[in-house]
Amino acid sequence: METSTLVLIVITIAALLMSFKKDKDKTILGLKLAKGRFFEMAGEIVGILALIGLFLAFVPPETIKDLLGGSNPLISTFNGAMIGTIAIIPAFVAFPLSASLVSMGANLMAVAAFIATLTMVGFITAPIEIEYFGKRFTFVRNVVSFLVAIAIAIGMGAIL
Amino acid sequence: MSAIDVLKKRKIVIVALVAYVIVFFYDQSKFTIALGGFWMYLKEMIEILPAIFIITGLIDVWVSRDTILKFFGSGAGIKGKMVSVLVGSVSAGPIYAAFPITHSLLKKGASLSNVVVMLSAWAVIKIPMLIVESKFLGISFMGARYVLTLPGILLIGVITDRFVDRKEVLAIVEKKDSAIESKLLELLPGYNCGACGYKSCAGYAKMLATKDVKIDACKPGGDKLVNLIKEVRGK
Repeated sequence: METSTLVLIVITIAALLMSFKKDKDKTILGLKLAKGRFFEMAGEIVGILALIGLFLAFVPPETIKDLLGGSNPLISTFNGAMIGTIAIIPAFVAFPLSASLVSMGANLMAVAAFIATLTMVGFITAPIEIEYFGKRFTFVRNVVSFLVAIAIAIGMGAIL
Repeated sequence: MSAIDVLKKRKIVIVALVAYVIVFFYDQSKFTIALGGFWMYLKEMIEILPAIFIITGLIDVWVSRDTILKFFGSGAGIKGKMVSVLVGSVSAGPIYAAFPITHSLLKKGASLSNVVVMLSAWAVIKIPMLIVESKFLGISFMGARYVLTLPGILLIGVITDRFVDRKEVLAIVEKKDSAIESKLLELLPGYNCGACGYKSCAGYAKMLATKDVKIDACKPGGDKLVNLIKEVRGK
């Protein structure tokens, strides 16, 4: 087990013990919520991980490299942002996928853009957003978020 | 739950299963590679997921969204922005679970930019996510992304505010607002835990308002909530 995983588990156990000491009932409710959410999402997570495994077995690394790690990093970044916009996968599944993409030759900027648009831009959820806030709001928020996501990715390219 | 509901809920698993069976007959070497990749991901996820869900549950019971919102005040200035980021980041659930809550805040007088900041923070800034990100992509990647994302979402708020008229959005909000549904949503605990079988409290509130569904499905709410729901639906 990696150190970061170990640290996470130790922190969780410490937080749990502290919470138990302060308020037993609240802690039990928290654990019930965790259990409920876990079973709600477990099937989805397992299914998506299985599909990602399949996807990476069929997509040759050269395609990933062409799309997300080409000679022009700006085009790769734009491609990453587009994929993130239309993809619908939970964010924490996106991180191991991103790690695989990087090992297959994807540019870090492209991966950053992918993660940023995946979380901030909602193409698939747009109809629900329109229902609550209207077309104009939804359009402006998503377009601006897309552009800022690309700016974040370029900034990361400069930092890393 | 009916058979169709089960199918809907397990849609992705079924699709994946069918795909694997097809690949098994079509190309066994690819099947082995895919299964190996899947197993590697699954192992890493099993190591971290219980901890992540427990931390999220603890944040839910210890950090109350309502308490933070009390400090919201007029929501103007940097304090309002900070509260918006905070509320977004301690809330669990996907971004569409955020629409009903931000929608009701807008109605109560929150500015458009604060609403956008809260939506973005809800989607991006999550403490458990931060740990997963640094595990897979490294601490410097995670750090750089957060340092840039924070000003980024403030910028998204300011720009959206400039191009969209708040009154226009409010008009839509009022039209869409169904009184019973929003009352029910206010009664539900807002954990979006999914114990009731719906993805978010908003989903359950909608079904309660429009369809004849079980009224005791909310586990955290308990008997007290059942009585309140009866009262609201009775009217």
